[in-house]
Amino acid sequence: SVVRCQLYPPQRAFHASAALRRASDEHKKEPSASSSQQQFDSHPSDRQPEQEHQGPRPSYTGQGGQESEDYESEEQLQHRILTAALEFVPEHGWTAEAIAEGAKTLGLSVAAAGMFHNDGSELILHFVSQCNTKLSELLEQEQKLVQLGETEKKTTDQFLRDAVEARLRMLIPYIEKWPQALSILLLPHNIPSSLNLLTSMIDDIWHYAGDQSTDFNWYTRRAVLTGIYNTTELVMMQDSSPDFEETWRFLENRVADAMNMGNTAKQVQSTGEALVQGLMGAAVTIKNLAGLNQRR
Amino acid sequence: HFGFQTVSEEEKGEKVYQVFENVAKKYDIMNDSMSLGIHRVWKDVLVHKMNPYPGTLLLDVAGGTGDIAFRFINYVRSMRERQLQRKLKHHQNLSWQEIADSYQEEAVKPLGDSQVVVCDINKEMLKVGRQKAQHLGYSEGLSWVVGNAEELPFDDDKFDVYTIAFGIRNVTHIDLALQEAYRVLKPGGRFLCLEFSQVNNPLLSRLYDLYSFQIIPVLGEVIAGDWKSYQYLVESIRRFPPQEEFKAMIEDAGFFKVDYQNLTSGIVAIHSGFKL
Repeated sequence: SVVRCQLYPPQRAFHASAALRRASDEHKKEPSASSSQQQFDSHPSDRQPEQEHQGPRPSYTGQGGQESEDYESEEQLQHRILTAALEFVPEHGWTAEAIAEGAKTLGLSVAAAGMFHNDGSELILHFVSQCNTKLSELLEQEQKLVQLGETEKKTTDQFLRDAVEARLRMLIPYIEKWPQALSILLLPHNIPSSLNLLTSMIDDIWHYAGDQSTDFNWYTRRAVLTGIYNTTELVMMQDSSPDFEETWRFLENRVADAMNMGNTAKQVQSTGEALVQGLMGAAVTIKNLAGLNQRR
Repeated sequence: HFGFQTVSEEEKGEKVYQVFENVAKKYDIMNDSMSLGIHRVWKDVLVHKMNPYPGTLLLDVAGGTGDIAFRFINYVRSMRERQLQRKLKHHQNLSWQEIADSYQEEAVKPLGDSQVVVCDINKEMLKVGRQKAQHLGYSEGLSWVVGNAEELPFDDDKFDVYTIAFGIRNVTHIDLALQEAYRVLKPGGRFLCLEFSQVNNPLLSRLYDLYSFQIIPVLGEVIAGDWKSYQYLVESIRRFPPQEEFKAMIEDAGFFKVDYQNLTSGIVAIHSGFKL
């Protein structure tokens, strides 16, 4: 039991519960009765004690500040259920049914799916957030390799293409049901979260691409890359070419366009400036003609 | 508390038993007339919130005349149909034999292993429930058990969902009932309670009080011939703890993610908790 406690520290606060204890029981196949002594000594819980005859439960030690640990563990359990549910998505779609099946594999009742929204939103958001984390880790590793001198630093457009491709490839196992997921992410109550995840992912990519800008360019770059990502994702949805060749070619073109646009933008800016100058000059001339600029 | 009277604990159990013995036969009619049929909507919302997955084992405590049980069965049946349809669409190139087989499977197991156990302390209520089931054609996946919510005749960790609709305020020791609920639920199982609660709108509250104390006992006398039982009903509603307090009691019993949803401005509330 001591070994088990050390291996699963985040679940400490949850030893009062049945679910996580049961899950770790399944992994370790140890009798739960023997763990109650260990738990009393080293794992205080802030939940009310049950009567002893109801089974092994740690006693109440009344320590405040355990509350946050408990709250975190509820979320951890939810994350575990959602992760387990992902394998049922190809069959059931992004629904409460997939979540119910996921809960079953963890040894929980199917009723645990009731903890989540009926429309499967949390499952999709969880998946997106997981993908973004994976992408960050990938980019981080790449950066390390470049710093160590083991690989060449990529050009910006190559970097962007590879990053977007890597991220979109994570959708491949779920590609059939992904259109459904996209439409759910567009529901009003999901938009804040999905937008948040999208923007932070785009931020991440630009960060690792070496974007140091703090001026207006920051926004244009975010907007441009978001546009590239979204359009490529949509193309991917109805691409039936082998290994999504068409999609990557589309991506290549869009990124190239964006690079050129950088130059066009500068031209537009200077044209814009020139235009403004001209307008100002015209305004001053008119004022002069109308005699408004006279100083007496 | 027995309504606004104060009685000893043994007496309360007995008195409640007598109330429901008297009203059993007219229970459903009275529900319809008192709530103007809205109780059906409340119960529908409860089952929708439950969103039971086929294969769920439900324990409906104080379920007497079976309202929740029947709704559960209907819901699971339609879910199962939808599941089968989706499976068929998923496998587009099935042979005719396979398609016929899956329809066969649906006929044999329309509920997909889902079951509901209706438990009530009162035999009369269960009798009415059984008759209703026969009358409406519900035969499978239904069992009727006599039992006390404070001491359920079931093993630990058995049920996926535990519901108690308009029953918990009649229990003498609510905390014991909550503890029993915790005991018989599987890990991950859900506790759902549909009960009258505090109205949060002051204007509605006054109208509600007027309706409760002036009209309901009269209806009781006219329809069921029993003024006192309905006086008890109305008083027991007032005695029941408000939403937040009841939520705290549920948390004390060990449930997590406890939450409540007010229906009809708080006239009833659905409390939900999970055994995690």
